[in-house]
Amino acid sequence: MDYIVKGFKDALNLLVSFDKEVFSIVSLSLFVSITATIIGSLISVPLSVYFGIKEFRWKKLFSRITYTMMSIPTVVIGLVVVIILARKGPFGRFDLLYTRKAMIIAQVLLVSPYVFGLTYGLAKSRGEIIEKIGLALGANRLEIIVLIIRELKVDILVNVATSFSRAISEVGAVMIVGGNIKHHTRVITTTISMMNSMGDYPMAIALGIILILISFVIHSIIYSYSEEK
Amino acid sequence: MNIEIRNVEKYYGDNQVLDIDYLNIEKEKITGITGPNGCGKTTLLNIIGGLDKEFLGEVFYDNNKFSKKVKQAMTIVFQKPYLLKRTVYENIEYPLKLRNMNKKESKAKVLDVMKKLEITDLMDKRGNKLSGGESQKVALARALVFNPKLLLLDEPTSNIDPEYIVTMENAITQFNLKNKGTIIIVTHNIQQSERLCHAVINMNRGKIQT
Ligand SMILES: Nc1ncnc2c1ncn2[C@@H]1O[C@H](COP(=O)(O)OP(=O)(O)O)[C@@H](O)[C@H]1O
Ligand SMILES: [Mg+2]
Repeated sequence: MDYIVKGFKDALNLLVSFDKEVFSIVSLSLFVSITATIIGSLISVPLSVYFGIKEFRWKKLFSRITYTMMSIPTVVIGLVVVIILARKGPFGRFDLLYTRKAMIIAQVLLVSPYVFGLTYGLAKSRGEIIEKIGLALGANRLEIIVLIIRELKVDILVNVATSFSRAISEVGAVMIVGGNIKHHTRVITTTISMMNSMGDYPMAIALGIILILISFVIHSIIYSYSEEK
Repeated sequence: MNIEIRNVEKYYGDNQVLDIDYLNIEKEKITGITGPNGCGKTTLLNIIGGLDKEFLGEVFYDNNKFSKKVKQAMTIVFQKPYLLKRTVYENIEYPLKLRNMNKKESKAKVLDVMKKLEITDLMDKRGNKLSGGESQKVALARALVFNPKLLLLDEPTSNIDPEYIVTMENAITQFNLKNKGTIIIVTHNIQQSERLCHAVINMNRGKIQT
């Protein structure tokens, strides 16, 4: 039991002393996942609204594929990115493997289907009435998509936040493409996983606490925002 | 805007809900559509309004087919209006923004139409926080504000307090007289159609009754 108590005590010490290493690991985690979430959302939100309100053949099949994409394991995404970015791969000459850029690319691929799937479902169920209003008042395609995004912005932000949580808390993809290199590609989850296998608990616990705090803060902001809508 | 309907049929699966051989709706007039629930009034309005494109037959607008230009020149006020999650003022301003009107000009128009419909005091309220009747007033204002050539109204006074119906009807009549707007109004209320309309079309089971 002692090691648990000690683990927590040392973890708190690391936190209150603003340990430099902890701080840089957390910053990198935030940077990678926030960047990936922003890029992924900028692409996925308009597209998902577009497809959500559009009628086309095979839409049911399209929906099923969309929802399947959401549950692709993160290691698989990591693997795909590794294959593409590896020296011998199609993008090998950019030398991106084991860099922060590679981690962002992997997380964009992870976040996008998630934001897309959630927002696609939202637009499918609640977009039609807004589309009708837009059409009735003379809006064109693009203006209708903008209108729907504005009308559903709170729900869309919740989707984005949910996807960010998934990104920052996943370990498979960033581990494979980033390689957990100290001071370079080491993020919260890869550190926890490594410290755990080394039996070094305080750092792992400290980072675990921070991960939970990040999630808590995000969902609190979203919650208070959706309350006042 | 003159409307001509030729051989229009609409099916939901095997269920035919509309069957109109020929119908001409005169321009610059107020035409009423009456008939029992489920006879196809809303369906017809959606087809004329270009919102429903899955039908057989043809609709002509001043002898033209449906186009972007036609679309920009008309609007429809739904039975259950949906207001945007912004202020009433911004709701009414929205169609003017779509038409790139400058702020000053659009402000004058919005204030004017709010005054006509006696909703100036609702100005800063959120559109999604209004009652059914208030929403209908704002939806009518949002349609009148950009001066459409064709105005389609689907039971626009169904949730309105009796003493207020006159205000709405006056706004509709005035719009027709002053702006030469063509109006098609679906109504359950026979007296209302007699008060407002130059012509009335009776529908039953998807057909025009003569
Ligand atoms: N989306 C739909 N799917 C199937 N049937 C529909 C749909 N919309 C309307 N209908 C049917 O079409 C008929 C005409 O409806 P509608 O035009 O709304 O009638 P009204 O406005 O005159 O009350 C009704 O029988 C209704 O049940
Ligand atoms: Mg109806």
